[in-house]
Amino acid sequence: MIIGLGIILGLLVILPSIQYVLAAGDEPGEYLDRRIEIWGLFYRLMIVAFTIGTVVSGTIVWLVLRFRESNPKAKPTEYEASGKW
Amino acid sequence: MSGHSNWPEWVYIGVVVALLCYVGAEAWNVERIIEHVPADAEVIKVIGQQWLWTFEHEDGTKEIGELHLEKGKAYKFEVTSKDVIHSFNIHDYTVLMDAVPGRINIVWFSPTETGEYPIQCREYCGLIHYNMRGTLYVENGV
Amino acid sequence: MVLELQKPRPIWQIMFSTHHTDIGLLYLITSLAFMFMGGALALILRLELFAPGTQVIADSMTYNRIFTVHGTTLIFLFILPSASAFGNYLVPIMVRYKDMAYPKLNAVAFWMIPPAGALIWLGFADFTWYAYPTYSTISAPGPAADMWIFGLKILGVSSILGSINFIVTIMKCKHPDLPLSKMPLLAWAYLTSSLITVVAVPTFAAALLMLLTDRLGVSGFFNPTLGGDPIAYQHLFWFTFHPEVYILIIPAIGFMYEIFPRFSRKPIFSHSSGVAAFVLLAIVGFASWAHHMYATGMSFTEKTVFMVGTLAAVPASAMHVFNFLATMWGGRIKFSTPIMWAVGGIALFFSAGAGGVVNSAMPLDFITHDSYWVVGHFHLFVMGTILFGTVGFVYYFFPYVTGRMYNEMWGKIHFILAFVGTVMVFFTMHILGLFGMPRRIYDYPAFPEWVQMNIIISFGAFIIGISMAIFLVNLIYSSAKGKPADMDDPFGLGGKYYFPYKAKTPHTEGGGYH
Repeated sequence: MIIGLGIILGLLVILPSIQYVLAAGDEPGEYLDRRIEIWGLFYRLMIVAFTIGTVVSGTIVWLVLRFRESNPKAKPTEYEASGKW
Repeated sequence: MSGHSNWPEWVYIGVVVALLCYVGAEAWNVERIIEHVPADAEVIKVIGQQWLWTFEHEDGTKEIGELHLEKGKAYKFEVTSKDVIHSFNIHDYTVLMDAVPGRINIVWFSPTETGEYPIQCREYCGLIHYNMRGTLYVENGV
Repeated sequence: MVLELQKPRPIWQIMFSTHHTDIGLLYLITSLAFMFMGGALALILRLELFAPGTQVIADSMTYNRIFTVHGTTLIFLFILPSASAFGNYLVPIMVRYKDMAYPKLNAVAFWMIPPAGALIWLGFADFTWYAYPTYSTISAPGPAADMWIFGLKILGVSSILGSINFIVTIMKCKHPDLPLSKMPLLAWAYLTSSLITVVAVPTFAAALLMLLTDRLGVSGFFNPTLGGDPIAYQHLFWFTFHPEVYILIIPAIGFMYEIFPRFSRKPIFSHSSGVAAFVLLAIVGFASWAHHMYATGMSFTEKTVFMVGTLAAVPASAMHVFNFLATMWGGRIKFSTPIMWAVGGIALFFSAGAGGVVNSAMPLDFITHDSYWVVGHFHLFVMGTILFGTVGFVYYFFPYVTGRMYNEMWGKIHFILAFVGTVMVFFTMHILGLFGMPRRIYDYPAFPEWVQMNIIISFGAFIIGISMAIFLVNLIYSSAKGKPADMDDPFGLGGKYYFPYKAKTPHTEGGGYH
């Protein structure tokens, strides 16, 4: 999973760097298309957001299921046992 | 306070900060690139008023509610307003800039495809804000 | 408890009271009433936007008035007073003092709210809750606009007075045996949000005055023909209202700091991290205001500065999320209604924040500015986090105020419907914004994607509406006829780590902080 995340992050860094090198010129026909730049940034940030989102929501779902009191593995917390808060 | 080790939280904050630096750097870079106006961009004056758009080409031609441009050329919009704040928006080309009375805002683009694209107002300006629309016609050059 | 409907106290006793529990109750009832009223306005808007063309609203000006009053009501007449409600009730108990520092001033601050609310609702202004000039100065019809300005002036003063009361109560009236560092995180939430208020709100008070004099024609602060600058208003407005969004959310996060530990049966993962996160957010929150103004023609450098300021506030919020998740980890959680709302609230808080990080990237403003993306984004905060946290806390607090339990099954149904509805409405709005639909429009062209998404959103809005109707019935019925609650452990959590906020009031025996 770490490798997967690393690959995603790597791509997110390498692709823009390539574009920087082959940057758009200033002649007719070579002007940069602002739509591509802006939407490209949007898709890259969406990848980051959804990757983190999967991690965070997945964690929340796991926590809710694992630590609910009806889970067969549920055991009293150390605070319940000792009564000290 | 709670007596237990806090290193997972510091790692988590480190990851968050690293991602935010990435976001900031990318955004800075893209903005820098798209704000560079080509020197030979043709100037179009965009004047917003309640509730219509007027366009003035360099050769003096005026258009109301419609804008005819040529594919492949660069155009620099000088956007202003005659009354309240409006916002000039050609969504299909991600062109967006507020039309503020008393100032001129600059945004540029180069249309790459022919066709008809909606122009709309993106800042509340009263009764007919919802219908302060126009059309961009991109045609092949002569 | 302060609300015993079967043997009601005389109404005048509550209305003229200066005791913090009674004032808290007054704020709560007022804010919930405005919540339902503002929400009803949203349903009218969504009925209209269900399809292109006219549905139920005859003309665009009426539509514009409705969305303006919807936003103004829910922010100023629901969220802020509901935070004051619980603050008034609980802060004195949490700092082990007998009342707020200035009880009479407290009552004055509350009683400013109904007249201000009346001004706003009787006026029904149309210029959006921002009231940007030059529309608001030269084009917005009076007297609605002027009534709105006066209404907000009064609310601003009320906010500042309430905040002064919280700050003095916490800093000066706190029990000598209670160090600030051990004070509950909910009290810290009130301290930090009150400090932000007294710094940020006076700026808006000035801006409102300038707007009024411009409208009267005696000044030209925002009038370019007289040498003024409309963008100056936006700076003043957002200098207040960006920190204001933190004022709105910090109490809701504070409510979650009460709910998560209690229902997980273990203490909060890190109290000091929570304190640090609140203080950090309060300070850094002042550094980002002009990200609301990226489209006004600011220079590249200005935009960059505000982007950095915006991003700098994210780690503080991230710390709260970590704290809540780490508190649940290792707990034995009873999923009663309050913690369901808190968990849903945190999940939506994260999505709202993720959208916010995307928004802070300046180039993306060209896609999203003043479109439904923004509407979806901020509603995930105000509805998804603040309303969810507040409603969860209303359920948590219900037995303490009324001595009875609400109906648990209907509380859970309320949550499920509200969560499904919120996701249906506000996630879809993000996509609708990407397709270019502007906000604040009475009608729209029949682009197929816009039509389809508007239908989904309107359905979702009615699901939320149904869930809120269930809430209203549950609240009223259970207040009068609910099963009497076990005042030592209404939620059946067991043990001594739950926190019954039993107030000593002139009307009930027993109680006190333990």
